[in-house]
Amino acid sequence: MIRTKLRRLKQKDTRKLIATVMAGKMLGLLLILGAMKGVAWYFSSQASAAPLVHQAAVKVSDQVSAVNTVWVLVTAFLVFFMQAGFMGLEAGFARSRETVNVLMECVFDTCLCGLLYWAFGFAFQFGNGNGVIGHQYFLLHGMTPAYGTTQVSFLAFFLFQFAFADTASTVTSGAMVGRTGFKGDIIYSICVSGFLYPIFGHWAWGPGGWLGNTMGWFAGLVPKGIVFRDFAGSTVVHTVGGVIALAGCIALGPRLGRVFKRDGGGPLPPHDLTWGAIGGVILWFGWYGFNPGSTLSAMDWQGIGRVAANTTLAACAGGMMAVLWVYPRSKKWDLGISVNGFLGGLVAITCPCYWVSPWGAVVIGLGAGIVVPLGIDFMEWMRWDDPIGAVAVHMFAGIWGTLSLGLLATGQYGVPTATGADTSTVVRGLFYGGGTGQLQAQFIGSMTCCVAVGGVAYLIMCLIKLIPGSWTLRVTQDGELEGLDLHEHGTAAYHVEFGQGMTYTAPPNFIPNGAKTNGAEEKTPVSTADSPEDVPV
Amino acid sequence: MPYLITAIIKPFKLEEVKEALRAAGVGGLTVSEVQGFGRQGGKTEVFRGAEYKTEFVPKVKIEVVVDTSQAYKMVDLIAEAARTGKIGDGKIWAVDLERLMRVRTGELGDDAV
Repeated sequence: MIRTKLRRLKQKDTRKLIATVMAGKMLGLLLILGAMKGVAWYFSSQASAAPLVHQAAVKVSDQVSAVNTVWVLVTAFLVFFMQAGFMGLEAGFARSRETVNVLMECVFDTCLCGLLYWAFGFAFQFGNGNGVIGHQYFLLHGMTPAYGTTQVSFLAFFLFQFAFADTASTVTSGAMVGRTGFKGDIIYSICVSGFLYPIFGHWAWGPGGWLGNTMGWFAGLVPKGIVFRDFAGSTVVHTVGGVIALAGCIALGPRLGRVFKRDGGGPLPPHDLTWGAIGGVILWFGWYGFNPGSTLSAMDWQGIGRVAANTTLAACAGGMMAVLWVYPRSKKWDLGISVNGFLGGLVAITCPCYWVSPWGAVVIGLGAGIVVPLGIDFMEWMRWDDPIGAVAVHMFAGIWGTLSLGLLATGQYGVPTATGADTSTVVRGLFYGGGTGQLQAQFIGSMTCCVAVGGVAYLIMCLIKLIPGSWTLRVTQDGELEGLDLHEHGTAAYHVEFGQGMTYTAPPNFIPNGAKTNGAEEKTPVSTADSPEDVPV
Repeated sequence: MPYLITAIIKPFKLEEVKEALRAAGVGGLTVSEVQGFGRQGGKTEVFRGAEYKTEFVPKVKIEVVVDTSQAYKMVDLIAEAARTGKIGDGKIWAVDLERLMRVRTGELGDDAV
């Protein structure tokens, strides 16, 4: 082939033909380039001829709201995209028979959470009120152009906070995969995204919230002026989500057929590690909205850079450490634990990301890389069935991250404001000569979350369990054995299609041509219509 | 002559059947995911509000080669472990194997079980 082509190239007229064609192409290209250049020149000359008065009149201070709003919106979109990560991770780590259920859970939760947050969740969390609960902005009534002093569009702020609430409510489902009835799921999701998350969120982040401002009853236990700090939600989002997941997991009991390690069994294997790992990385990507966006201000440009870098380093350290931690045990390079490990690192850095140095971030990530595998072992030992490791990753690593601020805050950074960093009051941890004050405050905040949210969540789960009939928390035994996909959603995620295996059926009360259905309903119309002549050979 | 037992069972019963066979000393078996219909017929599924009839339901097929003297006992054992009493529990059949060879050693017949 090639040889004949080469031989043809040597012929004179072929070469001539090629030369003509190439010359034509070059000419055409030059013409196009010239035309583009001409058009560009024309418009640029027009533009520069126009007066620049309007541009010059815009002051830097006028652009703060625009810059901050764009920043918050972009990061809100990233946080929202974490839902895709959760879907991939949870579905991948679950069994194939509950894939549709996991996906549906995330989709339904998002829709439910959006409406509840609009109706009253946001009001509870970010409305003015008392130290315990807000009561302003119900159905977004009475909103101002910008939220508080943030100089961020009120609705952009709302969207950002909705994405956070959605994350918290999705975390909860992780430890309850495979045996939760969908109706029970709806009830507890309403409780989580409508009440538990917003109210605890108000304590830490809301205007006048007791944990974030005065430390309430515990004010005497911490030095004056030090309050509980949670930059992006190691406690507020992740420990809340994780502890509710744990409550649900304990209330539900393990999946049928799940035998624990000390009874001679082990975890039920995941069905799709490709999606598990991709979902994990999508979550990591979404975290670049979660943490840097929590400055609510792009004007603190050093802050957002530091937060983004710290987030990355902690994730890397967490993933690395978790793999190395389990390697001596299995002598295998474990994908599942590395995904859980870097997610643990991300959860841990979420609280201290603004106040620590890159070195601190690495240490926090390494810590999370140990906490997560230990947490998974602990869950196994307690005979608590957490199919995707939600409790270890979100609750245990969340607690570690929250406490780590009290150890590793450098004492250089204060809070981000709409126009830049404010370092009038800095956060300093134990290792940087700040004493144990911040650590105490962090401990109080984290334990409050575990006890208050965990206790209420466990109570709610147990109450839902008591509901008779199909609205109870756990699906029936038959349904669980059949698989939640078919039982709750009427469809499987992965269909094997044999020929016309799937055919449309008429509604049950539909009788074609008035024919009687004397016990013949089970016959499908298609199998009779398929005569052998129709089958292509 | 050894027997080949083939059993079509409900997927979630596989674990119990496997344990029962292992406890009875069966050294190995082959499992495949299959689809089919019997008296249970197909089932109705839904997609975007529309109902569909799937004519084939997922089952698990177990194939196990046993010693002649064990064959009937094993059939009973599988039936016992796989039974739920509801429609769609499956079927078991056993057939004579004219020729059976273990690949590694070339052993034949009952020696190869």
